[in-house]
Order: sequence, then structure tokens, then C-alpha cells
Amino acid sequence: MTLPPETTGRFLPSVDRLENTMRAARRAFDHGDLEGALREDDVAIQLKPEYDAAWLLRGHIFRKDGNIPGAIEAFAQALKINGETQEGWLGLASALHEVGRFQEEGEAYDRLLKIHPRSIEAWIDKGAALHELGDYRGAIACYDKVLGMRPEHAAAWSNKGAALLRLGDDAGAARCMDEALHLDPDFYDAMANRVLLYRKMKRPGETVLWADRALRFREAPWLWYVKGAAHLGLRESTLAMKAFEHALALDPKSKEARAGLRKAKTLHETTDFYRGVYECFGTLLVGDPGCEECEIRARCREVTT
Amino acid sequence: MSLPSLAEVEHSDWPSLQRMCETLGLNPKGRSAIVRMRVADYVRHRAHAPSWRPAREHQAALLTRLGHPDLAERVWESTIQLEAPAPWVGLGHAQLAGGFLAEAAKSFARAAQMGDPSGELHRAEALAAGGDYRGAAVACEAYLATHARDLRALLMKSTFLARSGFEEEATKVLHAAAELHPEVALLQRTLGLALLRSGHHAAAADALQQAVHQDPKDVDADVGRGAALLLAGRTREAIGVLREALEIDSKRADALNNLGVAYLAMGRTKSASVNLERAAKHRESPRILLNLGRVMEGANEPAEAVRAYDQVLKLRPKDPEAVAGRKRLGVPTKSRRSPQKRTAKSPKKAARTVPRKTAPSVEASSS
Repeated sequence: MTLPPETTGRFLPSVDRLENTMRAARRAFDHGDLEGALREDDVAIQLKPEYDAAWLLRGHIFRKDGNIPGAIEAFAQALKINGETQEGWLGLASALHEVGRFQEEGEAYDRLLKIHPRSIEAWIDKGAALHELGDYRGAIACYDKVLGMRPEHAAAWSNKGAALLRLGDDAGAARCMDEALHLDPDFYDAMANRVLLYRKMKRPGETVLWADRALRFREAPWLWYVKGAAHLGLRESTLAMKAFEHALALDPKSKEARAGLRKAKTLHETTDFYRGVYECFGTLLVGDPGCEECEIRARCREVTT
Repeated sequence: MSLPSLAEVEHSDWPSLQRMCETLGLNPKGRSAIVRMRVADYVRHRAHAPSWRPAREHQAALLTRLGHPDLAERVWESTIQLEAPAPWVGLGHAQLAGGFLAEAAKSFARAAQMGDPSGELHRAEALAAGGDYRGAAVACEAYLATHARDLRALLMKSTFLARSGFEEEATKVLHAAAELHPEVALLQRTLGLALLRSGHHAAAADALQQAVHQDPKDVDADVGRGAALLLAGRTREAIGVLREALEIDSKRADALNNLGVAYLAMGRTKSASVNLERAAKHRESPRILLNLGRVMEGANEPAEAVRAYDQVLKLRPKDPEAVAGRKRLGVPTKSRRSPQKRTAKSPKKAARTVPRKTAPSVEASSS
């Protein structure tokens, strides 16, 4: 690359040119033109090799392009130049997360939290990294930090519920998930966690109910499988078969779904209960006015645990 | 069909819930909690979204203005993302409001780095708040590199330069601003007053004349011009200008004072005393009273002079000029406590007032 005469004359790259190049790179990145963005970013780095913003952008480009090792290297380079950038640490940590390097991811958040002790994003992501590493108590401490700063943070409540569930505190987990869903009634993650909680508590009625709600927002083979298994528990073989078929459509290699489908077909030969309009089937609550009027109350009592 | 509110759904009893289901065409069967959830879901998804809901950025900006910079800072931090300099500007303002000036300057610099040139102007404000006027002026210059005509930046730079002691540079910037924006009448006045303060009396008079030309009713410019002409030694012109100013506003104490001084310079003691007395009536300023005392001394009216000096000493005890004046008139220091008593006229003629010692009130005209 030849520098323009006014640049070479001064031995310094033109600041204007550098800014224009960076702007062009960012524009290309925004428009999804990763190749163009990388080309412009290369020029910026050649103009000013110690430019942290250019390395950060390079990290984002590589990450979006799926080149995670490249992204890690670029973010690390940006942090070598300027170790106080939140964007750099978060970028590095996310890239490390994507390749399953949770230990290092946690360390990256620790470094960031030393600089920005009140970074909500860093605390919640560190909690998630610790959760992946099986340190549920550490994860809960992180979520508590977030909730101390932002008590209305639905994701922190949901994540805390998930960690408590792993620790066997079902009641605590249920309270956290209630809180998350109260703050954001359409929060998919909290619904999915609640499905797992009810499955663990062996309450198929509630499991089906919450799996249905979660599936309205996002399809997931495991959710269909859990729903199918819960229908089996409620002796609803047709609904179970449909759920397992959905799971297999999304993940044809799922052995559990295939086995579940076989079980459902076998059950279908002996029994197949039809719940009709009662989506709450299997969740009987004695004394509830709705349950008092229910037409399938007797059968609901049999399957409610 | 009107939808019930979420609060109504939350607190309604079973029959009301069923009625809601009937009205909304929803399945009314099942456990009450499930039916309630069904109705609430329906209401949440069907209810019209409010026309405007404050986003996190709005909340953060409001928190800063409501006096909660610490909370605002946290909310701004949560809005930061790649390619968006605005949250950095907001964060900087929250930090500025919280007194974290160095952090604020860094945040504004970050915004500027991300492509928001106004970040430099905000940074200038943060630096100036910390007393670094020179740095603030440099930040303004960085902004002006891309926005050479920006009036706000030019005026900020001029102010910061003046505060850091570079008055000449500040005046040059004002001059450039006035040339770039001839349509802004106030600029000529500001330039004129700045020149007057920095001692360029003739140039100040010219700039203020232009200001008056642009707005003939600009009495501040007229009074300033009068002071500039007087200080430039063009006393006769100054008298004309000051009288014009007083025709627009006859109660301008600074104009009356300056006119008095001008008359005194011309040797018209009577006119000088009349104007200074009127000025003192409108504003009890030590400067005006000292001038009056001087004129009265010159007019051989020691009692009036002493009264003026006594008034000064009431306002500013131990004022050296007033004490010296009283000494010249032979009044013992204690007697100032009883201004009612008239002191006897001195048999000796008092020395003529030296016009040099009276001062036009530049401060008054520039305020």
C-alpha cells in the first residue's frame, strides 16, 4: 500500500484517513459485508497498528464470520493495546464461551469487573460461565450482585432459578422463576426453566402447561420431548405421540424421542385420554372454583401428583 | 369492545373472570389461575401499545436530569453497544453530573473516537468544569477542525481561551466568529466588549459601532461604545454616544457615570456632577460615588464630597481612595460616623480634580 504524499511527508498516517477507513469498515460491518469490513479494517491496522478500535472491530468481524480463534486473537490484541476497554473484554469472553473455554471466559469477566465493577453484562455472563463450569453457588453470587443493582432484571432471576434447581433447592428455584415471569411474562428462558423444574418435581400436568407456553415462543426438540414424556405420564398417548413426532422432526437423531414415540404407540393400544378444552389437565387444586366446575375432575384427580 | 386492564384481570373474582372470558371470546374452563393467565395473556398481546414508552436511553437521560447521576450512569452503561457513540455521551453527562470529571472526559473522548464529533465539545465542557481551560480550548479546536463555522464551538473556545489567560487569542476567535456569522448581531457586541476589556479601545469602539448599526436599540452596545471612545481619548464623540444611549434608557447608571467622567474631562464640572449624582441615585456603587466625590472636590463643594466618600466607606469600609479623599478635605477619620454634621469649608482651595483619577465604569457597561 502506498501512503498519500502528504502522509509520507509527515511520517504519520493521516488521522482523517484513518478515521475515514474505520468509518467505512464499520459501515460495511453494519451492512453485513464482512469481507469489505475486513479489508477496510486491514487498512486501518496498517495505518495505525496500535489502534485498539480497529482490533476490536476485527474481533467482531471474525466472530460474526465464525472464525472464533481469529476473534480471540484480535480481541486479545486490542486488550494488549488498551486493557481497560469493556467492549474488548466482553468480546473476548463471548468468543471464549463459543469455543467452550469457560474457565478463561470467567477470568476475562474477572478482569473486566476489576475495571467496571458495576457492569451488569459482565456479572450475568460470569454467572452463566460459572454455571457451565458447575459452580452454581458462584453463579448465584453473581446473579445476586446483578439483582442488588437491578432487582427488575428478569434474566438474573431466571438464571438464579436455574442454578438453584441444580443445587436441589426446588422451592427457591420456583420463587425465582415466578419472579422472572412476573417481570416478563413472555420470557422464554424462564418458561423453559420452569418446565425443567416441574419435570424434576414429577408434575406432568404443569410440565405440559409450561412446555406449551414456551413452545409458543420458540421450538426446541428437547421441549417437545419433555412435553411428550409428560403427556405419557398423563396417559394422553395421542398427544404424546404428536409431541415426540415434533421432537423427531426437529432432531431426527434423537434416540430418546424415538423411544418415547414407541412407548406412546404402545400406550395408545390400551389407553388414550382426551383432555378437551382443559389445558390445565393434571394440575388439580382442591377448592379452586375452576376445578370445582371441571367436567374431567375425577380423571384429573387421578393423574395429579 | 374495551379490554379490561391487567390490574382488573389480576384482582377479579371467579365470576368476573368468566364474564371477561365470555366477552373476549376466550375459553372459560379450567383452574382459575390458568383462566386468569389466559385472559392476562390476551390483554397483554391485544392491548394497544402505548404510543411512546421510555427506552433505557430515555430513562437514563431522565435520571440524569432528575438528579440521580449514579443511577443514570448504570443505565447508560447497560445501553452501550458497538457502533453507538450516543450512550457514551449520555454516560459522560451522568458522570459529569456525579462529579467524576476525568471519567466524563474519557467517555466523551470515546464518543468522539466512535465518530460523534460533538463528543469533543462535551469533553471541552468536562475539562473546563475541572478547571483545565487550556485542554478545553484544545478540545474545541478539535471539533472546529471539522465544523469550522460552528458558532457554539467558536464561542466556547473563545471563553475557554479567555479564562486560561489568552485574551488576545480569545478576541481573535471572536473576531473570526463575527466574520463567519455577520448575521448574528450579538457577536459584534461581544467582540467589542472583549476588546474593551483587553484594552483595545479604538477597535472596541469600531466593533460596538457595528453592533449598534445592526441593532440601533442595543443600548448595551451604545454604552460600551461610549466607554470605549472615552478611554480612547475621543471624549467629544463619547459624550454624543452616551447621550444617545441615555435617550434610549435614561436610568443607565453606567452611562450616566461615564458621561459625568467625560464632562469632567472636558472641564464641565457642573454637568459632570449632575450626571454623577443621577448615576449615584440609580446605583449606589463605590466607583460612581468616588467619581462624584472627586468632582465635588474639584467644584469646591467639600461637604458634598465628604458625603460621597462617607457613602463609599459605608459600602466599602477602609476604601483607600475614600479615606484619602477625606484626608485631603481635612476630615478626621471618626467623623465619618456622623455624616449629618457638615464639616467647615476648608479655607484653602481644594486641588482640581485630576480627570485621570476618575474612571469610566467599564465593568458596568460590559455586564
